[in-house]
Amino acid sequence: MIPLRIKVEANADQPFVVRLRSFEGEAWEQRTEKLNPFDAALERVGPEGADYVGEGGAIRILGIDPSKVDGDVLLVNPRRGTADRLIRRSSQHNTFLVTERCDQVCLMCSQPPKKHHVDLFPYFETAALLAPEGATIGISGGEPTLFKAQLFEFLGRVLDARPDLSFHVLTNGQHLDLDDWDAMSSIDRGRLVWGIPVYSRDPAVHDEIVGKAGAHEQLLESLALMCRLGAQVELRTVLMRPNADGLPQLARFIASTLPFIRTWAIMQMENIGFGRMNWKTLFYDSSEGFDVVGRSIDLVRSRGIDAWLYNFPLCTVPEPYRHLAPATISDWKRAYREECDGCSLKARCGGFFEWHPANHGYGNLGAIQ
Amino acid sequence: MNVWPLKFREMSDGSVLFSDDAGGFFKSSHSFLDRYAADSLTPVDGTFLREGNHGFDREFDLPWTSFAYRWARRQARPTRMNYVILVPTLRCNLTCGYCQVSRAPENASGFDWSAETLAGVLSFLGGLEGPDIKIEFQGGEPLLRVDLLEAVQDFCRGKFSRPQFVVCTNLQVLDERAWAFLDADDTFISTSLDGDRATHERQRTHGSEVTDAFFRNLEAAVSRYPEGKISALPTVDVASPPDFDALLDNYERYGIRSVYLRPINHQGFARKVRQGDNVLARWNRLHSEFINLLIARNHRTGRFMEEYYFSQCLKRVLRFDADNHVDIRNPNFFASDYVVIDHDGRFYPTDEARMLSRIGRIDLSIGDVGTGIDREKVEVLNSGAFNHFDPDCIHCAYQPFCGTDVIDDVSRYGRIDARRTDTWFCGRQMSLFDKVFEVLYRKDEAARASLAAWLGLVGWDDSMAPTHP
Repeated sequence: MIPLRIKVEANADQPFVVRLRSFEGEAWEQRTEKLNPFDAALERVGPEGADYVGEGGAIRILGIDPSKVDGDVLLVNPRRGTADRLIRRSSQHNTFLVTERCDQVCLMCSQPPKKHHVDLFPYFETAALLAPEGATIGISGGEPTLFKAQLFEFLGRVLDARPDLSFHVLTNGQHLDLDDWDAMSSIDRGRLVWGIPVYSRDPAVHDEIVGKAGAHEQLLESLALMCRLGAQVELRTVLMRPNADGLPQLARFIASTLPFIRTWAIMQMENIGFGRMNWKTLFYDSSEGFDVVGRSIDLVRSRGIDAWLYNFPLCTVPEPYRHLAPATISDWKRAYREECDGCSLKARCGGFFEWHPANHGYGNLGAIQ
Repeated sequence: MNVWPLKFREMSDGSVLFSDDAGGFFKSSHSFLDRYAADSLTPVDGTFLREGNHGFDREFDLPWTSFAYRWARRQARPTRMNYVILVPTLRCNLTCGYCQVSRAPENASGFDWSAETLAGVLSFLGGLEGPDIKIEFQGGEPLLRVDLLEAVQDFCRGKFSRPQFVVCTNLQVLDERAWAFLDADDTFISTSLDGDRATHERQRTHGSEVTDAFFRNLEAAVSRYPEGKISALPTVDVASPPDFDALLDNYERYGIRSVYLRPINHQGFARKVRQGDNVLARWNRLHSEFINLLIARNHRTGRFMEEYYFSQCLKRVLRFDADNHVDIRNPNFFASDYVVIDHDGRFYPTDEARMLSRIGRIDLSIGDVGTGIDREKVEVLNSGAFNHFDPDCIHCAYQPFCGTDVIDDVSRYGRIDARRTDTWFCGRQMSLFDKVFEVLYRKDEAARASLAAWLGLVGWDDSMAPTHP
């Protein structure tokens, strides 16, 4: 598993953002040219750690090979002696967790909400501006739009300053309204995708899953607004027992009433957080009951609307649908199992969530020759 | 709930097809029609219409917004010229009986681009924005002037980052230079293959040696290039159509799975071909039988072939972004994303307009490479190039899926305001969409399998085409 938090030693009082640079094999002159005020360059590697020096001072990284963190952007907490790798240069899966607060309590939430909130937007803005060329940065929570004023400002400023960057924001679509029109329309919509969950066509089923009465109705209002704004929407449906039977009905609704979405993602469940707690009642074995999934995806695609399977191990998907199941499990959460040994599809398979239980729940699983 | 206006048409099985302006559709009954007309819809009707997004509660609510979105997306709005059809020579080394475009003898002079015309063409291309461009070489037989083709190809490769070339060739005579031209990965071949050998010889080559040469070259091309490089289409004489089974076998043998069945065109010198009475009805029947045959054959062999235009119409019905084919574009504005440049450097809005002008009926040219595109004339043509307000189309259940063909109307009737339902274009489109909906609502495995294949899906099931009792 790839560590997202590493040990550091730094002589400072307040948290700060820094980008690590190795410059291995490069001349000193080139190095000074490339240094940004937020960069710290590798000076020395020894048994006690790797020492970096930049305008902001010195920092020592422990327990990880400097070559693995070259170009990474860290949020250093000197008092705790830790640093969060806000941006890992080599990864496609960098996400800023802007808050842990949420107004929904989804049955399968992988990141259960907490009351406490610390505003990290200033650090995120600094970090985003240091991101590698062409990066897409995820924004997640909790519910990011609980702090929508800061969020819109952050997105607008970063996208203006860095025409090469894009964002993917996960939101429950409960807090957007007409008053946000100006703020949202001033952000470059071509470089911003909104990932929004919908679990069912049936408001009662959806509201039950997200633990909030009236959530479905509010969601549809937000989606109408998104359409008028020309916003790019990735609709996300986690497949579970309570909503599996209704999937074809949801597909028909998408085809008729949500044709403006950019993508529909049908997602397998993640066994962590509430998802672990409720696993037994929620997990839907799509390896045995793929029929509803296949019919739904075909219906939506027949209308020219893009639809994909996220987080489905390829061996659990019937062969004709496998090209619709990209490797979506983030690199740092991904694991392969004993059963995967010798599988011919392993290289293009997203595998399993690291924390997927040993008695995995899939009736049909195993290496494909 | 406010229900959006529904248009309707009786289907061959006696049920009624309904559609709205945004392309939503469903199959229902005469009794539903009565309830709809008498404003006495039941709660069950209401639920069905709501689920299909055929109505809304208030302006800007989600159903209203979605409907507006689908309507808007169904309108064609090409904005950038990126497809140019070039006729570097009108000379040809074949004399096909139905020649669509008119031709000049192989040794005639004065039918090729002059040096000035070539310079004008390149200058026009140089004024287009990239990054992509598609150039289609038509004729005559364009490979008679490989030098001109090379000049255009060189220029486009320098100017555009993603150029693509299609050579519409009869594949009769290919020297080393022609093969070298075709070899490039950005270059594609489009040819004519009129079905079985006998039909091809009767309609095109007129002698076994010439026929042999064609098939030799076709086979050489097929073995030399990957699948997808070569496309072909058959021109069909309704008075003596080819054996369709043999045609499909032949196409499949050459690795061509998409067949664009075309009737002999009414433009150019082909107007003179006698095809007998009721050509339209006979063509429609022939085409419909061809689709049935395809479905049965696909089911039998498990290897899927398609009729190109039928697939386009099928996608146009189901999707809001499928209007690549000009006959199903609405509006169908001219000289917006494609244009034709003739052997004398004149612009034409379509290849058919070029043929029609060639026989001296009417001058449909819209400027030349020296003076540029005549936008005033284009505007005149455009004033009739959409079906939104046509007094017949506005009542038609197929209006949201259909287009217009001003040039064909001018060609056949000398005017663009002929009663729509009396036109060849309308008669053909009605029959095609009748067929599309017939197949969409068929309930047999064979039809489902072909539908899935034509739409690029894994499977098709009955619930995908909505039905209301």
